[in-house]
Amino acid sequence: MSAILTADGLVGGYGDADVLNGVSLAVESTDIAVIVGPNGAGKSTALKALFGLVKLREGRVTLLGEDITGAAPDAIVPRGMGYVPQERNIFPNLTVHENLEMGAYIRRGDISTAYDRVYSLFPPLAERRRSPAGTLSGGQRQMVAIGRALMLEPRILLLDEPTVGLSPLFIEQIFDRIVEINRAGIAVLMVEQNARYALRLASRGYVLAGGRNRFSGTGPTLLADPEVARSFLGGQA
Amino acid sequence: MIELINFYLIPGIVLGCIYALGAIGLSLVFGILRFAHFAHGDLLTLGAYFALAVATTLAVPALWALPFAIAATAAAALLLDRLFYQPLRARHSVATVIASFGVALMIRSVVQLIWGPQDRVFESGIRPPLIIGDFRFAERHIYIVAAAAAIITLLHVFLTRTRAGKAMRAMSDEPSLARVSGINTERVVAWTWILAAALLAAGGLFLGIDTQVKPQMGFNLILPMFAAAILGGIGKPYGAIAGGLVVGLAEELATVPIGGTALVPPSYKSAVAFVILVAMLLWRPTGLFRGRVF
Amino acid sequence: MSPELYGLMMYAVGLLTLGGIYAIVSLGLNVQWGYTGLFNLGIAGFFAIGAYASAILTAPEVSSHIAGLRLPVVLGLVVAAAASGIVAYAIGRLTLRLQSDYLAIATIGVGEILRLILKNEAWLTNGALGISAIPRPFEGLPPPWDQFAFLAVVALVIALIYVLLERARLAPWGRVMRAIRDNETAARAAGKDTMRFRLEAFVLGSMIMGLGGGVYAHYVKFISPEAFEPMMTTFIVWVMLVAGGSGNNRGAIVGPLLVWTIWSVTEFATLRLPPEWTTQAAYLRIFLIGLALQIILQKAPRGLLPEPTVLSSVDKEKTAGPRARPSR
Repeated sequence: MSAILTADGLVGGYGDADVLNGVSLAVESTDIAVIVGPNGAGKSTALKALFGLVKLREGRVTLLGEDITGAAPDAIVPRGMGYVPQERNIFPNLTVHENLEMGAYIRRGDISTAYDRVYSLFPPLAERRRSPAGTLSGGQRQMVAIGRALMLEPRILLLDEPTVGLSPLFIEQIFDRIVEINRAGIAVLMVEQNARYALRLASRGYVLAGGRNRFSGTGPTLLADPEVARSFLGGQA
Repeated sequence: MIELINFYLIPGIVLGCIYALGAIGLSLVFGILRFAHFAHGDLLTLGAYFALAVATTLAVPALWALPFAIAATAAAALLLDRLFYQPLRARHSVATVIASFGVALMIRSVVQLIWGPQDRVFESGIRPPLIIGDFRFAERHIYIVAAAAAIITLLHVFLTRTRAGKAMRAMSDEPSLARVSGINTERVVAWTWILAAALLAAGGLFLGIDTQVKPQMGFNLILPMFAAAILGGIGKPYGAIAGGLVVGLAEELATVPIGGTALVPPSYKSAVAFVILVAMLLWRPTGLFRGRVF
Repeated sequence: MSPELYGLMMYAVGLLTLGGIYAIVSLGLNVQWGYTGLFNLGIAGFFAIGAYASAILTAPEVSSHIAGLRLPVVLGLVVAAAASGIVAYAIGRLTLRLQSDYLAIATIGVGEILRLILKNEAWLTNGALGISAIPRPFEGLPPPWDQFAFLAVVALVIALIYVLLERARLAPWGRVMRAIRDNETAARAAGKDTMRFRLEAFVLGSMIMGLGGGVYAHYVKFISPEAFEPMMTTFIVWVMLVAGGSGNNRGAIVGPLLVWTIWSVTEFATLRLPPEWTTQAAYLRIFLIGLALQIILQKAPRGLLPEPTVLSSVDKEKTAGPRARPSR
């Protein structure tokens, strides 16, 4: 089984200071890969670097075997990588349906199956498809955000803290959906603050600190590791 | 009351339509390209002169010149962007604002070079006004309002039914997310200029028909256009329509004499837009309809 | 001395005088823009206030408007600066919390309102007819000494302002200004009352512009609203500052002299053309100066005497990625 996405020794950041000091990871097609770590560890930055939003000074990124290091987002998106940012991840003045349409912007041909998939995955969106996305609740907005990225029918989906700021009920719903997405054949790589919950689902886990890898393994293994628990999972229940 | 409607309300609406046409483009440019485009008024002037040139050379009625004027103004806008704004795109918006200030002057001087500084008018002759009951409607006013309404309807269709239009709205909402979705930002920028230029060409034509065509015509509108755009909310084209009408009506109605004197003496009419502008910026910079703030 | 040489010399003196007046205004803009990053597009307004204030106070009695006080020129200049400062204070309190593009729009509006007032309030300003017979210092002297003396006055004013501003720049006040210009949120987090500093810079800069206006009024001896047409005055000062090097006081002197010389010489050259061409030539010159600004902005945004400026640096907020631009 070959990896969908690999990153080797990523070094880089915004402007002069490096946020990433050597991050490596690999995601295979069946994986739910989770990146956790303390604040400022560079988790979101790593995700952005994979998507071409952060300048890399060193390191290599490959997608489906091809080198995409330094490529711009609009070159990466057609290759099958979808990205859901943490903030500003919907178009508030566009309707739900239009948001999804933008997600499929680069696709030609019939995309009606993609709509069906998103609406069956997120039924509340089907009801509110003509409402401006900005009028939805937090949890529903997150559904729009993920749905937008799914319209691409990507091979791998990158999610930056998908459950931040959501109520526990929604958190569970979102994680359930993510598992469903993965079962449908899409690899998932997500950064999560809800480390314990996320790692339970993870077939591959990475703990980052100070911009570099500290621990890796399957999610349950990391959860069981006392050193990981002590250093990075803190007192989270 | 009748005088109110004939001499203040109707001109206010006509002026408001023209402001709206300018403000929509200004709002879109502000929302998508992220800078205050000070040459917007002078692009309107350019549109008017293109229309005039076509109307006189082909000897057609003014409104028929519109498609040509739109094409020419759109080409000019794309060229200006390519030459003077695009090279500065990565820099702080101040650089592009100053550049647009310079572009405004350049357009005006080219217009004066080619067509001279004197006032010109569109051939129309004197037409009797349409009289319905006590209300008088100048024929050209009817054309202008009807044409503006048609154009705005087309705009609505473009923004809500076409892929390019939706991409524009998306980019105006969240430019980085638009990029992340794979939308080609430079293509959207081009569409923005074409759209803004088309609206300006129409606005310039209408203003020229309503008053006259002169090199200062567009620049005189820049404050009201900004006021309208900010009133409606930056990045909200529909808000800009409302904003334009409000500013146009406010300017006219403020000079209505109530018991002898008006709220605003006519010589200070252009201050009305400014007061609206500053008031909005201080009180509610997102505009009445909650647009972007930077 | 041959007449041609004499003519050339007087031309040069005139050039330096008017260029020097623009240098005063540029120094004022430099305090606002170069030091503090305030985007003021209403320069013409403050320039006009200073000119009219000094003119009204010093001009002889005329029935059509307030005049006849015939105060000494020095007092006129002081009031010119003060008047601009007061207006700047009032406007600044209202608008300075706006951020760059919006401040620019607001200041253009201010300039426009001021121009309207100058044109309409004829009881004060004599409206479109303007104020004439404004006294010029040393005009009693035989030529060329009257011109030399006035040039010396201008040079003195520039020198004084330059020394004052350089002192301010190196003082803690100047450092705070630069900190605010470069990163306002950080400066505020460090406990600096940024609004107060911005207001101070705005008022000081406007006072200097008003002073420049006053000196201008006394030089040309006749002013009318036409002379303060915003686009030309405001725009040309911006070109001068950008060309000279914004942020840099020497640049604020060199830029105006250079640009004014080029402007004047090209005007002189077009006077040689047949008369039908002169108006066209004027528009061509405006076009070329606009084009020159574009070239400078693209190729040499730091100007002649560079200091890193907002105009030349890449906007990190724009290129750093989707999260970088802070929401307000």
